[in-house]
Amino acid sequence: MPVLEANLVKKHYKLGEHTVEALAGVDFKVEKGEFVAIMGPSGSGKSTLLHLLGGLDTPTDGEITLGDKQLSKLNEYQATLARRHNVGFVFQFFNLLPTLTAEENIILPLVIDGKDPKRFKERLESILTIVNLADRRHHKPDQLSGGQQQRVAVARALITQPAILLADEPTGNLDTKSGTAIMELLQRSCRELEQTVIVVTHDPRAAAYAQRVIFLRDGLVVREFPISESTPISERMSAILAVMQELEAE
Amino acid sequence: MTALLRQIRLLTLRSIRARFLRFALSAFGIVLGVAGMLAIGVTNQTALDSIVRLFENTSGRTKLSISSATQDVNGFPEQVQRTVGNLPGISAAAPTVRALTALADESASDQLALGLFGMSSSDNVQLHGVDPIIEPQLRDYTLTAGRFLSESITAREVVLVENYADDKELTLGGWFSILTPNGVESLKIVGLIAREGPGQTNNGAFGVIPLGTAQELFNRQGQLDQVDILTTNPSPATAELDALKASLQTRLGKDLSVTYPSGQGERMTQMLQNYQIGLNFMSGIALFVGAFLIYNAFAMTVVERTREFGMLRTIGMTRGQVTGLILLEAGTLGVFGSLAGVGAGMLLARGLTRLMETILNSPLNTVEVPFNDMLTSWAIGLAVTLIAAGIPAFQAGRVSPMEALRVRGKSGEGWLIRKGWILGLVLLAASTIVLIANPFPYDVQFRLGSMTVFGLFSGATLLIPGTVSGWERITRPLMKAIYGASGSLGSRNVQRSRQRTTLTVAALMVGVAMVIMTRGMTESFAGDLRDWISAYIGGDIYASSSIPMRSDVGRRLQAVSGVEAVAAIRYLEVDWQTADGVESINLMAYDPVEYTRVTRFVFSEAETDPASVVRRLQAGDAVLVSSVLSEKYGLQPGDTVYLRTRSGFHAFEVAAVVVDFYNQGLVMQASWNDMRRYFRINDASTFLVKVSPGENIAVIQENIDELYGKRYRLILESNESIRGRVLTLMDQAFSMFDVMALISIVVGSLGVVNTLTMSVIERTQEIGMLRAIGMTRSQIVRMVLAEAGLLGVIGGVLGLVTGIVLARILFIGMTTMSGYKLTFTLPPEGIVLSLAAAIVISQVAAIFPSRRAAGVRILEAVHYE
Repeated sequence: MPVLEANLVKKHYKLGEHTVEALAGVDFKVEKGEFVAIMGPSGSGKSTLLHLLGGLDTPTDGEITLGDKQLSKLNEYQATLARRHNVGFVFQFFNLLPTLTAEENIILPLVIDGKDPKRFKERLESILTIVNLADRRHHKPDQLSGGQQQRVAVARALITQPAILLADEPTGNLDTKSGTAIMELLQRSCRELEQTVIVVTHDPRAAAYAQRVIFLRDGLVVREFPISESTPISERMSAILAVMQELEAE
Repeated sequence: MTALLRQIRLLTLRSIRARFLRFALSAFGIVLGVAGMLAIGVTNQTALDSIVRLFENTSGRTKLSISSATQDVNGFPEQVQRTVGNLPGISAAAPTVRALTALADESASDQLALGLFGMSSSDNVQLHGVDPIIEPQLRDYTLTAGRFLSESITAREVVLVENYADDKELTLGGWFSILTPNGVESLKIVGLIAREGPGQTNNGAFGVIPLGTAQELFNRQGQLDQVDILTTNPSPATAELDALKASLQTRLGKDLSVTYPSGQGERMTQMLQNYQIGLNFMSGIALFVGAFLIYNAFAMTVVERTREFGMLRTIGMTRGQVTGLILLEAGTLGVFGSLAGVGAGMLLARGLTRLMETILNSPLNTVEVPFNDMLTSWAIGLAVTLIAAGIPAFQAGRVSPMEALRVRGKSGEGWLIRKGWILGLVLLAASTIVLIANPFPYDVQFRLGSMTVFGLFSGATLLIPGTVSGWERITRPLMKAIYGASGSLGSRNVQRSRQRTTLTVAALMVGVAMVIMTRGMTESFAGDLRDWISAYIGGDIYASSSIPMRSDVGRRLQAVSGVEAVAAIRYLEVDWQTADGVESINLMAYDPVEYTRVTRFVFSEAETDPASVVRRLQAGDAVLVSSVLSEKYGLQPGDTVYLRTRSGFHAFEVAAVVVDFYNQGLVMQASWNDMRRYFRINDASTFLVKVSPGENIAVIQENIDELYGKRYRLILESNESIRGRVLTLMDQAFSMFDVMALISIVVGSLGVVNTLTMSVIERTQEIGMLRAIGMTRSQIVRMVLAEAGLLGVIGGVLGLVTGIVLARILFIGMTTMSGYKLTFTLPPEGIVLSLAAAIVISQVAAIFPSRRAAGVRILEAVHYE
């Protein structure tokens, strides 16, 4: 059974007198442990799709199924709990609490869920090792670089072992080196933790780390193709760029 | 529970610590409210308790008191005491003759003691002639030296209060020489008592002498002033005592009055009431202003932390949890802020009590702040904080998770900003209606009134977002003129975050409104008071004495060279028959012709003809009533009032209504002839002396003192001096209101600092860009100052309007409740000053943020996110 399934998902917005069709019927599935990148130009609907996949918004039509839950049938409270237990978020602007240390930011979802972080010590150590921040655990965000902050954000997203990890332009605010490090981290979490990762990005370099790329245009999936992990990154990037150019030409 | 504590530790406490200065400053709001409420409540209660306790203490075990119903200076026959003492249910009837005198060899003081209840000589001593055997059954005299009076009721001995004896350098075994109608008489000091219980009478200037001695020395043979009753049952039930009181009254008739001992204190407490009402209203307002400032501070916090709340919602925090987070922060603020408020309130209570002592011209009990009062104030402070932070907390919970995903600074505006003006208009209308047309009894009216002040401010606040762009368009040319092109840029910035602008303007508005309200009230009161004082303390010299002055003293004063006219004034307490029963008022008697030669009437209606009023008073059976009584009881010229005279209630026609603040306005005025005819009194309390034009007042005063000062124990003070002291007293009384207003303005200005700082931080990239394209540092400063100036203008104007509305409403309320018919006055300079203050404050508050903006480094700023 797929971890995440989108069936003919549509989303319309009213802007004054006009209705904007952000998504026109998106269909796809994501299997457990898969790393998927969603790409598209501005206005393609990728951010809207991200909101819907994370249960932050509800589709106008169609259905999104996360595990065994149909997200549109949940009320606001149920949707919140579904997010808490099943979705990890990584934001473009990190969104760490400036008053908490790196470690405290990471365990924040557990605290919100009323769990005793001490019971998750082993998981925490493992994640800190994966994100390579064990020696920075007691630092506050303003004492960390952008890349380090984003790694904390990734760790926070992983701590609850969510069904899916959603990342919205995770490298958008980072330099090339840091961005690469983050994408490698996400890839590693996929491999080592069997984490399902969905990244929304406009950056072909970031998308190159995925196993599958879904292209959106005008609210629809226009292309979907797998990427071989054995291919070097540069080649994967080229392939993605080629598809992007092709789509632009159409 | 552990999970909750964990959340508190990680989220609540960390947040407070990170924003500690902001929290501390926000706490000012609740400290202000709680301190004001506690201090005023405690001070009021201390004053009331002191007065009632004074009468209870000096009454001892007395259950009932008998006195003359007509306040007859000759009292009543001593036969009454023998009759009453033999009645069933009564174990003792203690007689008293009261005499007011002074030490024979002491020079008169040169100042009158001023208080809310009028003026008094600080020099007199009150002596009670008592039965030495019966008296100790009713009252406990705590001897500190010597002994109590011997059993002989004619012995020439006295027991004095120790403090008074020390002050006057009198010793046990020495002689106490006093002035009597028959000249100087001496009594042996046989005992000293502590200044407690009956020793508190007349502020301790008190002594007891045998009854017969008092009657002999002061020509009161066969007369008594009071009989105090001790019942056979030491603790009679209320019904039993009521029955005894009623049966005694029936037996004794209408010339005598049977009362409870504490009833005498009730009159004084009524007189305090009006001043306390004003204070209570202000304390209510202080609390709600504090609440509004708390709301403001938390609303600002929510705006600042929108993205943070969005993130928490995204990772699974429910709406309830986010709301709870803010409420926890508010609760923490409330707990510690209210605690600080209680502490501040206790200090303020001590200061206020000293002020109240000055106003009452009477020492009050040591301030005790009951634990229950502290706990209640603390709890109310906490509750108000939580309620005030409730709306922002709710809004925080409503922050969409998608806020976390937005680009900085582009969050949407909530319903309150977009459509809140509808609610604002409703609140304004409802508050105004409730404040003006309140059907509730007075006490509830003021409690409700202070709550609707919150509605008034909230309503005005909700109108701000919709009108900001209008304000900006109107003032933009002015900002451009003052600050140049930067001014135009700066003033437009207020529209960028209407929510933040609203909150800042609201804080300033509250501060300015408080200043306008207090100034309006004090100026109105002071204006009318000045007018009244100049007439009431008419003439040039005020002459009074510690002993009653026969009216021939007036003739002697008139004969002094340089004196143009003298008016004798007598004050006496009389009973007035109203529809609800009998009310005790003060009657001021004078010769109308003499009076108008020295001073003038201050009529409520300016068109009243003084000459016709004088003629009417001279004709007799007429009174002037104060505007307070006229307002309260609907008395108009031509109406009839019934005053209890020596021969029962007698009708007097109301000739005119006068402005009279004496005795809290519970006063009527009558002619000297009527007083002599109906009350058999012919001595004066004071003389108003008018000096001939061109004469030196101080010289005339000295001449009078030389000629008659010692003989008649005169206390002479120039009217200018008294007027000055009365007005100072009033200033002191109102100064506390000004302090509250000042604190509000300071807190409001902190809101400006906060907003502008946030605004600068948010626009760091933009400021960097402006600097990059050539804007100088000083232009950046002017841009921020222009933004602040506009906030000041809007806050000032709104504060002025709401302040005037509030002042008028407070005014109407106080007039309705107290009966004072004041003229609402708001000097134009007050308006200009308030507006100027708002703008100046906004500019001062903008100094730090504008310098911060000017200090932005271009390269860092353009890469800032």
